[in-house]
This record gives sequence, structure tokens and C-alpha cells, in this order.
Amino acid sequence: MAIDYKGPVEYSIEIAIERICALLNASYFISKRSVALLILQDDKETEEMVVANEGEAVDKIREVVKETKSHFANAITYELALERQAEVKSIVDKAVKIKKESIGTRERLSRLTMNPLTGIPILLFVLYWGLYKFVGQFGAGTVVNFIEGTLFEKYFNPFIANLIIKIVPWEVLQGLFVGEYGIITLGLRYAVALILPIVTFFFIVFSVIEDTGYLPRLAMLIDRTFKKIGLSGRAVIPMVLGFGCATMATMVTRTLPTKRERIIATMLLSLAVPCSAQMGVILALLGGNPKAMLIWAGIVGLIFLFVGYLTSKILPGERPSFYMEVPPLRMPSVSNVITKTFARVKWYFIEILPLFLLASIFIWLGMLLHIFDFIVGLLKTPVELIGLPPEASTAFLFGFFRRDYGAAGLYDLNKHGLLNGTQLVVSCVALTLFLPCIAQFLMNIKERGWKTGLGISVFILFFSFTAAYIVNFILTKFGVIL
Amino acid sequence: MSVKKIAIVGNPNVGKSVLFNILTKQYVNVSNYPGTTVEVSRGKMSINGIEYEVIDTPGMYSFLSITEEEKVARRILFNEKPDIVIHVVDAKNLERMLSLTLQLIEAELPVMLVLNIMDEAQKNGVIIDARILEKELKVPVVEAVSIIGKGIKELKDRIEAYGNRL
Repeated sequence: MAIDYKGPVEYSIEIAIERICALLNASYFISKRSVALLILQDDKETEEMVVANEGEAVDKIREVVKETKSHFANAITYELALERQAEVKSIVDKAVKIKKESIGTRERLSRLTMNPLTGIPILLFVLYWGLYKFVGQFGAGTVVNFIEGTLFEKYFNPFIANLIIKIVPWEVLQGLFVGEYGIITLGLRYAVALILPIVTFFFIVFSVIEDTGYLPRLAMLIDRTFKKIGLSGRAVIPMVLGFGCATMATMVTRTLPTKRERIIATMLLSLAVPCSAQMGVILALLGGNPKAMLIWAGIVGLIFLFVGYLTSKILPGERPSFYMEVPPLRMPSVSNVITKTFARVKWYFIEILPLFLLASIFIWLGMLLHIFDFIVGLLKTPVELIGLPPEASTAFLFGFFRRDYGAAGLYDLNKHGLLNGTQLVVSCVALTLFLPCIAQFLMNIKERGWKTGLGISVFILFFSFTAAYIVNFILTKFGVIL
Repeated sequence: MSVKKIAIVGNPNVGKSVLFNILTKQYVNVSNYPGTTVEVSRGKMSINGIEYEVIDTPGMYSFLSITEEEKVARRILFNEKPDIVIHVVDAKNLERMLSLTLQLIEAELPVMLVLNIMDEAQKNGVIIDARILEKELKVPVVEAVSIIGKGIKELKDRIEAYGNRL
């Protein structure tokens, strides 16, 4: 079947199609009619395909396109869409019957989530109970305390330490496994006892939120704010996904229509959106100190808006327009939530475990060769400049490669009472803003190209440090006690 | 004989990946928002001993692509030359989605239409006569609720029959 496209008789789209089809000699997998239609709509890829295949006829084809366009006030795409929609309507009229129904509870709830008056309280409710209470206090607090504090520190670590000391005769080698930065006492403990439970809890909440269909509604809700910073509401989805894993989210920026939006989104994802592991540890770090938590959230939020706004001013390009389908609110299916959480946790764990173990080996080697002390010594000055104890250097050194490792390091420092409230906030701000993990750095380069990817990273390195410095300065200057 | 290729296409968030997971018994991530799939997944399926390669694509609204991931989906259609193109639509929003079906048919691609999420359509009072639709479009039309596996058996039968015709 084919739709009969009308328009002014002599210059109708049908005639243009016929003329173009006659000029197309090569064979295409799709019909010539389709190729002709796509060319009439200025489709870049199709044009390239035709240029590659047709040789001289291309100029004649372009002539037809130009002539046809001049007879239409609207874009050809628009004309075609209109006629196609009319055809659709006539088919639907024959095959579909719709019984009108009153607005259901679901529809009512759906509207509530998108109306700012009710939507913002709902958002706060989701953040408070879903993230703060469930992930932060229960997952990162209660559960981690049990696994890390009780299972690991009380039973597993002493047991392994004794065992290693018995079977490994050299003290140097013992240190590799069960020393201060040992593979088992630090690497494995960080991965299994700290990050794994936190991330699991986060992914559970995340999967539930995803499957209810809340995200697109959130997008509608904050579309206006996003427009101010040069993004359409569409970008909310990659942003929120960034709270799961910024690396994956950077890939999802492909759903954004303009290059400009994709760059702004990548930038913000790298800078001001903490990923699940970071988020979890930060919730755990600041969970006991609501004031510090609010300050952290406020600062990161402000930076997000500020940098987004600046970037959108600097970057030329079209302003975003927003259209998005809002899927129905649904009860999440338990099996999909479980499968999805499991798939994500597994993928995440497989990625971090070797890295965390490797970090222990590097630190061990570095200590043997005295390089470690040297590098930590180098970092001491900038770390002290932002008001942190020198012990934080290690966390930052490795936070450079994996933000979650750095965050776990901070968690350890805090547990030993080495950080006060101000230092907590400053270090959390610095680590949130800090350079993305290696994986995200590579993704930035893959998706945005060398220049932009590298540029973003260098900018972030300086920006995060400066921001931390300013935050520390202000908090200390005004004697804020947290 | 070479393995037959099946490409799953359609608007975002209509259940392409759910269908892919069921047909190939693999797992690709599924969510309730448009744009979960940004890359192409491939899997194998066999119906009565005949092997098929199934390709899951990112969502596309129209044949004329705007975003990066729509381009990815269209390139699959152009370059991979699938033997069957399964167009999955959300049955309750049929009117909005048929336009892409028409474009696929216009391109003379070997289209099959899957009316997915029929349960929600019925709940919303949308009653679709698949046979009339089939007559109008002149392509096979299958009703399904893929998340619970409803309609999958019929879909496989129709795929087999459609494949034999080629």
C-alpha cells in the first residue's frame, strides 16, 4: 500500500516522487519511493547514500527537491506528516473503537506528580524516604554497620589476619594481604562490606522508581528549570540515571536531540551528579549530620545550576524544545526489579572488585618503593589548602581513579573520628565534583570526542578544587560549626 | 541457508526489549520510560528448528530520524537488510504509532505489526479489531501482552509462516 500524497496538482509531492524515482538507478534495500521521500525531507544520511550511489543524477535530484520545496509554504516533512496522519485516522476509524471513560485514580495521581504544587512535595517525599531513609540510613547505616562493623571487623578480618600471619612468613608480604591497605582488610572490605550493600540498596530504589514511570513525570516537573540551563526536560532522564551510574548515563545522553544539549549534559554528569556508590557513601557520611547534608546538597545543587547556566551561555546552538511521551504509571513488577537490580549489582561488582584489589597492590608496591609517600606528600599541600587532614590525601589520590574508592576512604577516616563537620562537607563536595572515574572519562571521550572529553576533565579538576577551597574558606570564616 | 534476521523496531517505551528478552531468552535492561535502549542488542531464537537472529533496536518515532539513537535504529533497517521487521506498538496509543507502520510499509520492508500492551488498552476501553487492521495494512497483525508472555506463541507461528513466504 502507499499513501497518495496530494498538494498542488502540477507540483504535487507525488510528481516529485515520480521524478526522483526515475532518476534513482541504484538498488536500495528500502523502496525508491521511501528514498525519494527522505530526500525530499532533507535527510542527511539518505542524501549521502544517494550521492555515493547515483553519480551525475544527484544534481538533477537536488533540482527536483528545490523546485518542489518552493511550492510549499510549510516544510515537506510537515505536509507528509499531515497526510499520513489523515491516513492513519481513516484506518483507526475502521479498526478501533474507544469507549470513553472517566479519569481514573492513576490519571489523577499522574497529574499530581507533574503539577509543581503537589509534584515538588511528592519529589521531596520520594527523596526523603527512598534515598535518605532507605538507602542512607537503613542501607548505608544499619546494614553496613552490621556487615562491615560486625561481620568483617569482629570476625572475618581477625580470622584472616591470624591465618595469613601463620601461613605467610614474611612481614612485608603479610602487609600485602592484611596490612593497613591490605588486599583483604581494605580492598575486599571496601568492595564487599561497604560499597556492595550501599549500591544494592540504591539500585533497588532506583529500579522501582524507573519501573513506576515516575522519571518522565519528573522530567515534566522540572522542565522549566532545565530550560534555564540550556537543557530540555528530556535531559532529566540521563541526569537521574547519573545517580545510578554516570558512565551509563553519559551513553544515554544520545537520546538528547541537539549536540549542545549532549555536551551540557555530559559536563553536568561528570561534575555535579554523584553516582550511586558516591551517593551511598555520602549519605552514610552525612546521614548523622542533617545540617552538613543540607549544606552539601545546597552547594552541589547550586553548582549544577550555575555551571549548566554558564555552559549554555557559552555554547552556541539551538535552544531545546521539549516533547516527551509520558508512559502510564505502573505497579513495578517484582521480578523485573529483582532481575534488573541483580544485573546492575553484578555488573558493578565485577567492575569494581578487581580495581579495589588492584589499588591495594599498588599502594603496597608504592609503599615498598616509597613512591606512595612521595605522591601523598605532593597532594598534602592542596589537601591541606582545602582544610583537610593529610590522611585524606590517599582517599583523593584514589578518588582520582574511582570516586567510590575515594568516598569509601573518607568513610574510613570519618569512622576513626579524623574529620570534623566542616571537613566532612568540604571533602564530600570535592569528591562529588571531582574528576569522573576512569570509565566515565573514557566514555566522555568516546561519546564527545577527544577535545571535548579532555576539556571537560581538565575543567573539572580545577573547578572541584577551587569550589572546595571556597566552601572551606566560607565555612571557616563564618565559624559555621557542624 | 543463512540465518534469518528479525529486527524489532517501534516507538520508545512500547516493550521492544521485553519482547526481545522473551524471544531470545536473554536479558537486556527494561524500564518504564522512553529511551532505555540506546544500543543494539542481538540474540538467537529458534522456531521449530529454524534459527533466527533477533535484533533489538532503540526507539524511533519516525523514519526521518532526529536523535542519535533513532539513527542507530534506522541504520539497522537500511544496512542489515532484515528478513522480518517486527514493528511493536503500544495498542492503547495506536493512532500515534501507526504512522511509523505506514512508513515502514511504504519502504517495502517485510513488516509484521505487534499490538503490544493489549491489557492496558482494554482497560482504557480501546477495542481493536486486528483482522480489519490486517486487511487495511496488508501485513500480519498480532495481539500481545509480552510482559506475561501472552501472544508470543501466535507471534512465533506467524513469524514462521511469514518467513516461509520469503
